[in-house]
Amino acid sequence: SRAEQEKLLKLSSTLYIGNLSFYTTEEQIYELFSRCGDVKRVVMGLDRFKKNPMWFFVLYYSRKDAENAMRYVNGTRLDDRIIRTDWDAGFIEGRQFGRG
Amino acid sequence: KRRRVRSEPRDIEDRLESLITRVGEKSTSSLESNLEGLAGVLEADLPSYRSKILRILSDCVTRMPEKTTIYTTLVGLLNARNYNFGGEFVELLVKNFKEYLKNCQFDEARSTLRFLADLVNCNVISIGSLMNLIESMVEVTQEDSIPQVRSDWFVYAVLSCLPWVGRELYEKKDIELDGLMRKIETYVSKRQKVHHSALRVWQSDIPHPQEEYLDCLWAQIVKLQGDKWIERHIIRPYLAFDGVLCEALQHNIPQLTIPPHHDECTYPFPFVVFRFFDYTDCPEGPILPGAHSIERFLIEEHLHRIIDQNYEDRKACAGALLSFPGKHKLPIEYMITEVIFSQLFTLPVPKYLEIFHGSLILELCRVQPSTMPQALAQAVEMLYDRLDTMNVDCIDRFASWFAYHLNNFQFRWSWDDWKPAANLDPLHPKTKFMQNALQKCLRLSYQQRLVELLPEELSHVIPKLPTPYYKYSSEGAGSLPGTMVAHQLASAIKEKCTPEEALLLIKDLPNPLHDDDVEPTHNPLKIEVFVQTLLNLASKSFSHCFAAIAKFHYVFRMLASSEEAQICILRSMFELWKNHQQMMCVFIDKLLKTQILECSAVANWVFSKEMAPEFTKGYVWEILHLTIKKMIRHVEKMQTELSEARVRLQKAEEDDEDSGDDSDKDIPTEEMIERKEERYDTAQSDLKNLFLIIFQRFIMILTEHIAQCEAEGKNFKNFWFKWTTGRLLSVFFQHHEQVFKYIGTLESLLFTSDIDQNILSIFQQFCALKS
Repeated sequence: SRAEQEKLLKLSSTLYIGNLSFYTTEEQIYELFSRCGDVKRVVMGLDRFKKNPMWFFVLYYSRKDAENAMRYVNGTRLDDRIIRTDWDAGFIEGRQFGRG
Repeated sequence: KRRRVRSEPRDIEDRLESLITRVGEKSTSSLESNLEGLAGVLEADLPSYRSKILRILSDCVTRMPEKTTIYTTLVGLLNARNYNFGGEFVELLVKNFKEYLKNCQFDEARSTLRFLADLVNCNVISIGSLMNLIESMVEVTQEDSIPQVRSDWFVYAVLSCLPWVGRELYEKKDIELDGLMRKIETYVSKRQKVHHSALRVWQSDIPHPQEEYLDCLWAQIVKLQGDKWIERHIIRPYLAFDGVLCEALQHNIPQLTIPPHHDECTYPFPFVVFRFFDYTDCPEGPILPGAHSIERFLIEEHLHRIIDQNYEDRKACAGALLSFPGKHKLPIEYMITEVIFSQLFTLPVPKYLEIFHGSLILELCRVQPSTMPQALAQAVEMLYDRLDTMNVDCIDRFASWFAYHLNNFQFRWSWDDWKPAANLDPLHPKTKFMQNALQKCLRLSYQQRLVELLPEELSHVIPKLPTPYYKYSSEGAGSLPGTMVAHQLASAIKEKCTPEEALLLIKDLPNPLHDDDVEPTHNPLKIEVFVQTLLNLASKSFSHCFAAIAKFHYVFRMLASSEEAQICILRSMFELWKNHQQMMCVFIDKLLKTQILECSAVANWVFSKEMAPEFTKGYVWEILHLTIKKMIRHVEKMQTELSEARVRLQKAEEDDEDSGDDSDKDIPTEEMIERKEERYDTAQSDLKNLFLIIFQRFIMILTEHIAQCEAEGKNFKNFWFKWTTGRLLSVFFQHHEQVFKYIGTLESLLFTSDIDQNILSIFQQFCALKS
């Protein structure tokens, strides 16, 4: 439900990273997001048809680090594109094939 | 859509809070008329909301010290209308002040002292009683056997309230003020400054001295005294109300005993005033206040304050900095740039995440594109020119920020200007800085991009292509022992063999260590074949690498049976991934987290002979620090688990007495708690051992270096020595909270008087942060 979803978002330490270039790699994401804290995992999202990377999930160990990424990385550039970060309720295997 | 005005007490309280906290913000009417109006409102509400108003106002004292004079004026106006209220407020402030001192909340105490001082200007407090208070604070310098950081703080607090109240004291209490200044002068001239050298961003005083903070403020105050205590930065709204305020009666600050020193009290660390601009660096226009003008101190303090209040929102922060009051009279972009870098380069550690400063700078460039990038480019050139004597940690922070910044500007930079560095020593700080910065650029982009951007002359600092070197498929691999098995293993892994099958494949590889008398603890050939083959196959991305570690965790565990074996794993990884620094960092991080490697193995590997050529590279220290942090986090985790279990047990016992019901299955047994205690103790001693290993290796390697240079008749203070002593200092600094716990052990076991003074002094400078 919506309330549950909101509650999950408030506790989550997972971010959705969007508006990236097709060529952006996991390594670049790691480097940038590690500047905000210890990254647990980076999951590459795959476009359902073209299988091109289009977004990533970044999972932090702590909520605090994810908050810092929201504050300091959102709206800055990587590979010359302004990246967008958003809270995600949490990554579940299989979700890299489509968000939502 | 006008809302009906309701007079619920809650609403009124909220409205009062909003009125009070927002006074002084941008408004269509003048500050004076706003203050007068607010005083009228509050006076009317005093009968019913007295305690609420007292609380809100006293919160403003510590939460918004940049608005001190606005609130002192308000309190002055209220005191003129209602003398009792003024008295109660002073009483509350003094009570808070004492609490802050007792609880070691020194920032709050300093803001409160400043407020009390400024209340003299508003005729709320008698000048004599304030003089008594600050005299009693300076008396702390006479206390016996206290750490110097204690008396330093008291003197700093007194000095930093003088810009507000100095003039008044000069006019009405000149003899006492002279006496006070003489006492402080004696104190300042006699204090120890062992910490100074370690805290400096640059060892050289050219072009700008890196002054110790109390020395600097003292010089500024002496200059203020020379200017007859007239400063030109503080906005003083009470001047407009002179007629009203001079009618009011004053209160006395009661005699106050300063809470004595106790061992749990942590005083603020001393620091160095970071300066890298002077007025000649700024373009024509308003002039930058000189290093010893009180305005420089006041403006810098105010800018720091704005950052402290807005660090969670870079956009708001940039906006607030750029709308600094009186900015047209200042080269504000230069002052902001200097303050941001002073925060980024703070030693022992910066207060905020480095990426905060980076993103704040981006925001400032976005909002102020006509002036900010110029100030920034000048700053980078200056920092680059002064790398020779820069603190090693600060060089790292500079490189890391620079790469981050360039990443947002397509890596465009006037690289040609740095061509002359091509002829420098490979260990020269400029060469090292560029290598380090470009390694970070590589992580944020890709190698070809850097090759295309940089002039050919600088090709020696461009990172190599980060690809694996797999010797079992290189030319001449046929003659290597293990090649056959490596190829068999590779095809088995590709065909998704199990960990057991992989182990079986490498089982019969001969052990090159076998001639030794004792049974070897590990087989280096097995490790090499397995680690390199697996990592080479998984080299496509971090995910592939992590998946490989997860799948073959069991094999790693079997192979990593001793510290030598673990070091052998690291050596094998290094041989393969030598050109991919980021990969090595994340790989080691993963192996630590999955408990394949022990922290001590990583530390010993970093200092091993084979790593000597890598020893001055930034990533090696990134690895060492991540290892230490990992160990610290582990200790903290064990501690939390233990205390949580204790709480649960205690709670269960209490509940038990109440109800006799023991249905909760989450209750830990005494035995479980004992086990947790043991695990916590082990973790603690592992951490302590890790530090002992690291410091011991530092002492050994530095001592060897000095001896060798002396034997060869060379000066040992070369670039290598600078890097290595800098790295030693950064281990102390980055983990200062933990290291301070072992000061006693370190002093008696490692940093003893028989080691070289050049090494010992680093330890002593570190200790001076708290002495």
